[in-house]
Amino acid sequence: MKDTLNILHKFSAHPDSRCWYVAWNPKGTLLASCGGDRAIRLWAREGDSWECRFVLPEGHQRTIRKLAWSPCGNYLASASFDATTCIWGKKGDDFECLTVLEGHENEVKCVSWAPSGSLLATCSRDKSVWVWEVDEEDEYECVSVVNAHTQDVKHVVWHPTQELLASASYDNTVRLYKEEDDDWVCKATLEGHTATVWSLAFDPSGQRLASCSDDRTVKVWKECQPEDEQGEGSASTDPEWKCVCTLSGFHSRAVYDIAWCRQTGLLATACADDGVRIFNEDANSNPHQTIFSLSVHVPKAHNQDVNCVAWHPKEAGILASCSDDGEIAIWSYHSEA
Amino acid sequence: MASQFSGVLQLTDLDDFITPSQACIKPVKLEKKPGKSLAKIQIEDDGSYFQVNQDGGLQKLEKAKITLNDCLACSGCITSAESVLIAQQSQDELYKVLHRNKSSAEQIVVVVSVSPQSRASLAAHFGLSTSDATSKLTAFFKNIGVHHVFDTGFSRAFSLLESQKEFVERYQRKEQDKKALPMLTSACPGWICYAEKTHGDFILPYISTTRSPQQVMGSLVKGYFAEQQNLTPKQIYHVTVMPCFDKKLEASRTDFIMKDTDTREVDCVITSGEVLKMLEQEGLSLNDVDPAPLDTLFSSVNGDELLRHAGSSSGGYLHHVYAHAAKQLFGVEVNDITYKTLKNKDFQEVTLEKDGTVFLRFAAAYGFRNIQNLVQKLKRGKSPYDFVEVMACPSGCVNGGGQLKPLPEKSNKELLQQVEDLYNAENTRLPEEEDRVTHLYRTWLHNVGEERARELLHTRYHGVEKVSNGLTVKW
Repeated sequence: MKDTLNILHKFSAHPDSRCWYVAWNPKGTLLASCGGDRAIRLWAREGDSWECRFVLPEGHQRTIRKLAWSPCGNYLASASFDATTCIWGKKGDDFECLTVLEGHENEVKCVSWAPSGSLLATCSRDKSVWVWEVDEEDEYECVSVVNAHTQDVKHVVWHPTQELLASASYDNTVRLYKEEDDDWVCKATLEGHTATVWSLAFDPSGQRLASCSDDRTVKVWKECQPEDEQGEGSASTDPEWKCVCTLSGFHSRAVYDIAWCRQTGLLATACADDGVRIFNEDANSNPHQTIFSLSVHVPKAHNQDVNCVAWHPKEAGILASCSDDGEIAIWSYHSEA
Repeated sequence: MASQFSGVLQLTDLDDFITPSQACIKPVKLEKKPGKSLAKIQIEDDGSYFQVNQDGGLQKLEKAKITLNDCLACSGCITSAESVLIAQQSQDELYKVLHRNKSSAEQIVVVVSVSPQSRASLAAHFGLSTSDATSKLTAFFKNIGVHHVFDTGFSRAFSLLESQKEFVERYQRKEQDKKALPMLTSACPGWICYAEKTHGDFILPYISTTRSPQQVMGSLVKGYFAEQQNLTPKQIYHVTVMPCFDKKLEASRTDFIMKDTDTREVDCVITSGEVLKMLEQEGLSLNDVDPAPLDTLFSSVNGDELLRHAGSSSGGYLHHVYAHAAKQLFGVEVNDITYKTLKNKDFQEVTLEKDGTVFLRFAAAYGFRNIQNLVQKLKRGKSPYDFVEVMACPSGCVNGGGQLKPLPEKSNKELLQQVEDLYNAENTRLPEEEDRVTHLYRTWLHNVGEERARELLHTRYHGVEKVSNGLTVKW
C-alpha cells in the first residue's frame, strides 16, 4: 500500500505575512484566505493556475484569524484580533461588509455558522463563546454569551446537522453546548489533552469529534448514549463524549488544525513542524477503540508552520493548506489500497 | 476560586496571558523619586524590600499598595479587585467594629440596612415570610451589637421618585438633547461598571443620574440620621445587606465618599450569603431567633408588615416610571402593565399606545446578552426605546450573585421562583404615599437647598479611558 499526497499548486497568498486560514465555499468554487496583513482574498482555479478573484475591502484593524462561509455560500464571516467579526456579502460583482459584530472584549479567534445558517458562533481570548442569531433582515442579535472556559477560546465549530456547538481552548479542554430554556449552556467538557486545544472537526455523521492540540496529539471523541455499555449508566439523558482514539508520536510539534473529509472520512492535520499528515481509519476497528493509521506524511509541506488544512467540499481527496510563510498549497490525495 | 461578581463584570477585559498584576497600571503610576538609575534591591525573609545604597546602607522600600479605588479607575483587570474587596468589605469587618465597641469606651453606632431581595432570599432559605425573616434578622443583628436595622425599600422610594422626575425632564428635552432618551436605569452596579469601562462616553449620558437605593440610604444614614442623633458621619458604621457582590464596588466609589469627613456613606456591604455565614458562625438558625420589632424609622412598613414597590423584583423602576410618565405626559391612568416577552424571558417590552400610535416604549433588559443587544442597537441608532430597566443578572436582583445558594434537594430555578414569590407576596405601596418620604422631602431635603438635595439623591459617572502601556500591548 502506498498512499500519496501530490502537490498541485502552491502560491503566495499573503506575501510578507502569515496566512492564517483558508476556507472553501460550499460549492468548492472559491477558496477564501486571511492573514496577518488584515486582508481577505478569494481564490479560484483558472485553467492550470490559481488566481485571486476578489480582494475584500479593508474591514479590520488587526490580524484576521479565521473565516467561515455561510451554508448557502452567500456570506463570509471573518474573525479578527480587533475584537470584531465582519459579515461579508456579495453586492453586484463585489463583496462588501454588511455587518460588524461587536461585543467581544478582545481578540476574536474563530467564527462558525450553524448548518441552518440562522445561528453564528464566535469565540475570543476574553474566554467567552457567543451565539448570534440572524433574522430575515440580516440583523444579528446576541442570543447567548457562555463563559464556560477558563482561558482563551481558540476554536468553535458546529455539528454538521444538529444545533450542537463545540469549542476548544487554551484551558486544554473541549466543551459542547446546547440550547436549554432560551439560553445556551455547556453540556459536556472533554478533558484529556495536556496543552492548548487548537482546533476541532466533526466527522461527516457528527457522531465523532476530532481535536488537535499543542500536546502534539490528536484525539477522537465519540458520542455515547447513556444506555450504551460504554456510557456506564449515568442518570442523565445527555450523551457523553468519550475519547476513543489518541494519535500520539506522529507529530513532532503542536498540531494547529485538523480537517475531516466529508467524502472519504480521511483526517488531515496541520503541524508546527511544517508538515501535513493524512490519517486513514481502519475499516474494521472497534467503534469504541477506533484505530487510525498514518497514510501520508509530507514533512516539508510548507517552509514554516502549517496553520490550516481544508478538504475540498465536493472533490474527494483535494486538500488546501496554508502557512506562516504566507503561501497556500493545493494537494491531491491518492490511495493505492 | 470562582469569581463571585456578576457575569458582566467578569467579562470586562479578563486576560489570560498577562496576569492581573502585570496588566495593572498602578505600578506605572507610582511616583519615582529622583536618584541614580541603577539600584540594588535586597529582599528580606519577611518579604520586605530594601534598596542597598552605594554606601552599603539599607533603605526600606514602600510597597505598592493597590486600593479598590485604583482597581475601579483602571481599565485593566477586575479580578484583582476581588482580594481587595474581601479585605475591605466583609462580615469580618463588621465583627471588628462590634468587638471594638465591646472593649472600648468610644462607641460607634452600627446601622445595618437590609435590601428587600436579601430578606426574600433568607426567608426562602429558612421557610419564613419576609416580615418574619426581617424581624428575626433584626433581632439577630441587635443581639450581636448592631444598633439599628433599616430597610433599603424605604430609600428606594426616593430612587423611584427621582427616576420618575428625571424621566419626565429628559422626555421634555429629547428634541434638543439627542442623548436624553432612552433613559437607562442606574441601580445595578455591575451594569454601571461595565458601561463605564467598555462604552464610556458613548453610553454614560443615557444613564439615569438617580442614586441606587443603597446610596440613597447612605445619604439618609450619614446625613439626616447622623444629624438627628447628633453624631458625626465617622461615628456611624453603615452596613448594607445586598443580593449582589457588585454592590461592594458601588459603595467604594469616590462619588460616595463624604469629602469633608473622609468617610464612606456605606462603609461595608455584605451579601445575603455572608449573613448566612454570620448566622452559622454564631451557631444559629434564623428560625431559632426570637423576633424583635422592626426599626420603623427607615423602613417601608405598615404596622409590623413590610411593604414593597410594584413591578419587577429588581426594584420596579420600569413600572413606576412608566405609570408616572403615562399620567404626566399623556394623561393616561395606568392600572395594569402588560409585559411582552421578546427574544427571551429577560427581555421584555411595555408600550403605551393610543389609537394605534405608540407614545411610550419601555423595556427591561437583564443579563449580559440583552445588555449587548441594547448597546449595539443604540450604537446603530436603532433602539426604539424611551426607557430601559437594565440589570446585569439574568432574572434581575433576586438572582444576584450574593444570594443564598439552593439546598442540595432544590434546583436553582425552583429556589429563584420561591424567592420571587416571597418578594411579590409583600403588599405594595406607592412611593408617593410613603408619608415619611414626603416629610423628608419637605423638611430635610428642602432645608439643605436644591443643589445639596440633588447631590444627596443623584450621582455622576466616569468613563474609564483604556490605558495602553508597554506591558499591556497585545499584538
